[in-house]
Amino acid sequence: MNWLKQNYNLKLISLLAIVVYGAAFALSIYINQTEDKLLIHDVSRLFPDRVYEIVEGEEEAALVEAVKAAKENNLKISIGGARHSQGGHAFYQDSVFLDMSNYNKILKLDEKEKTIKVQSGVTWEQIQDYINPHGLAIKVMQSSNVFTVGGSLSSNVHGRDPQYGPLIETVKSFRLLKADGNVINVSRNENEELFELVIGGYGLFGVILDVTLELTDNEIYVSQTEKINYKDYPEYIIKQIANNDDVGLHFARLAATPDDLLNDMYMTTYRTIDKGDDRYPTNEDDYEELVELNEEQNVLRDKFFFGLSRKYDWAKNLVWDLQQKLYAEKEEGEVVSRNNAMRPPIEFLEYDSDKDTDILQEYFIPVDHFEEFVDGLRKIVKEDDLNLMNVTVRYTPKHNEGYLTYAKEDTLALVLLFNHELSDEGIAHMKLSTQKIVNQALELNGRYYLTYQLFPSQDQIRKAYPKIESFFKRKLEYDPNERFMNNFYERYAK
Amino acid sequence: MLKWIVISQSLLLFGTGLVFPFYIIFLSEVGGNFSEFGIAYGIFTISSALVHHWVGRRSDKVGRKSFLLINTWGSALIYLTFPIITSIGQVYIIQVLLGILGAMQKTSEKAIVADFTDGESRGKKIGSYHFWVSLFSGFAVIVGGFLIDLLTVDIIFYFGSIILFVSGWFILFINESRDVN
Repeated sequence: MNWLKQNYNLKLISLLAIVVYGAAFALSIYINQTEDKLLIHDVSRLFPDRVYEIVEGEEEAALVEAVKAAKENNLKISIGGARHSQGGHAFYQDSVFLDMSNYNKILKLDEKEKTIKVQSGVTWEQIQDYINPHGLAIKVMQSSNVFTVGGSLSSNVHGRDPQYGPLIETVKSFRLLKADGNVINVSRNENEELFELVIGGYGLFGVILDVTLELTDNEIYVSQTEKINYKDYPEYIIKQIANNDDVGLHFARLAATPDDLLNDMYMTTYRTIDKGDDRYPTNEDDYEELVELNEEQNVLRDKFFFGLSRKYDWAKNLVWDLQQKLYAEKEEGEVVSRNNAMRPPIEFLEYDSDKDTDILQEYFIPVDHFEEFVDGLRKIVKEDDLNLMNVTVRYTPKHNEGYLTYAKEDTLALVLLFNHELSDEGIAHMKLSTQKIVNQALELNGRYYLTYQLFPSQDQIRKAYPKIESFFKRKLEYDPNERFMNNFYERYAK
Repeated sequence: MLKWIVISQSLLLFGTGLVFPFYIIFLSEVGGNFSEFGIAYGIFTISSALVHHWVGRRSDKVGRKSFLLINTWGSALIYLTFPIITSIGQVYIIQVLLGILGAMQKTSEKAIVADFTDGESRGKKIGSYHFWVSLFSGFAVIVGGFLIDLLTVDIIFYFGSIILFVSGWFILFINESRDVN
């Protein structure tokens, strides 16, 4: 009898425990999955903001509706794509956040004209997948293909093809959803002022709906990696790379290792080869294999090594040496299609520690002042004990279009990847060091890229971009209620 | 019959070992600075101290088993809140609860091990008991580190919670009456 009673109690307790625990478990998972959806941040996870509402517009009508509703309810609007800008350009506290990543249809490919019309949430990867079978390639995009077209336009990015300046050069036209809810065409002939304001305008003038971009041929390249003294690099660029028709893509790397900090330099050049060349694929099968798009490989391996070099100096040296060995092996030259050369790995860079973060910065330095800048940068990195992890250099020829253009003359663009602590002290330290680097760039007539952190001072942004004041004025003319809002505008326009 | 105690407590220590060292890192991040971290940890120990007396007395009357069970399943539930914590205030509350549960476990564990052992071979048995329990805890810490590196911190909280929940069932098998006889 007693045993039976005990058995009954045991069953009751068991049942109760399972029910209560199961419910608590499900609740925890549910809250964990949903709670922070309104907390919007960029890839660096610095300075997140809670937005009022997220609108994922798949249809144009939904986006128009969202803008009109925001106007009626007097709410601000922020617009985000892949969210790789790192200064809160893509979001704003308590705003209606338009997540454009689902507005991603490819609308029309014109093979004859070599143009493509896409919705602004389309990523470069989607475009590559779509146009590769047609033997076409993108003219200008970032070094990686994960970004959306709309976001890239808004920050007027540049790429690795030394024939082209910023992205604006390859944009034919786009449609813009304005603050009043109306949609207009924008091109070099129609609403032409907005053409230069919106591209590189960080979403402050409206929502970019669809974009027509110029394309080029998916050429076959042979790559070559060589070592060079960084002091000789400017001369090499002018003589061998700039205005040289057979150069398809070009970039260089400066060592971020403690041993050779900003001293060792390797550069990779992709040169076009034609059908006559003996390295050009001889039959259809070889050609098909060559142009087939590559997927990123060895993500975990690269992530591991990159993780090590984030933490340890010895690993930085090791990885750099390994990289150079790999490049040296390829010295003979790898034959690769333009599309494949324009989708280098990036996934291994994804990093989500709660304690520290990887941030990017970019500086545009007039070609002649490259050496001075590198020397100054080296001094700052050493003195301030910055964890510099990677430095790439690309050539950006002069291009005058764009209200806030950074390429007023031929420049070398240095992209710096830093790792720093997420603590208040860590951020303050990085801010101070950034201002020093910006000063260094300004002294040499260079500029910093606006797409990254809001660390530079009011004074510095005005020196780097003298037209910023009138840019903000134009913003108020087109959007008097400041409907389109982001942290970048708030920091510098007020 | 130390068997079920060893199994349940080893599993318990595996679950807590999985979570606890990393929970402390997690805490220092939510807290932001060392003083808040210190307060959080102090609260845990002090709240523990305040209930040790009571737990000891009560367990003499109603048995140790229920306290071990409350600690195990209670902790399993609390671990579920770790992934959704957002402020230091919530951490303080959790530390109080964990402190109380910890006191239930510590006092009852010592008492029940004492109940199940006697005279001459007591030291030997307690040594063996701690061998198993520490071994599991050690492995758990190593496994926990790998799990976080490969997955996310949230995963170990959920994983640890499930292990704790399971270890509770083994406590149910402990038969205290045998000792009373």
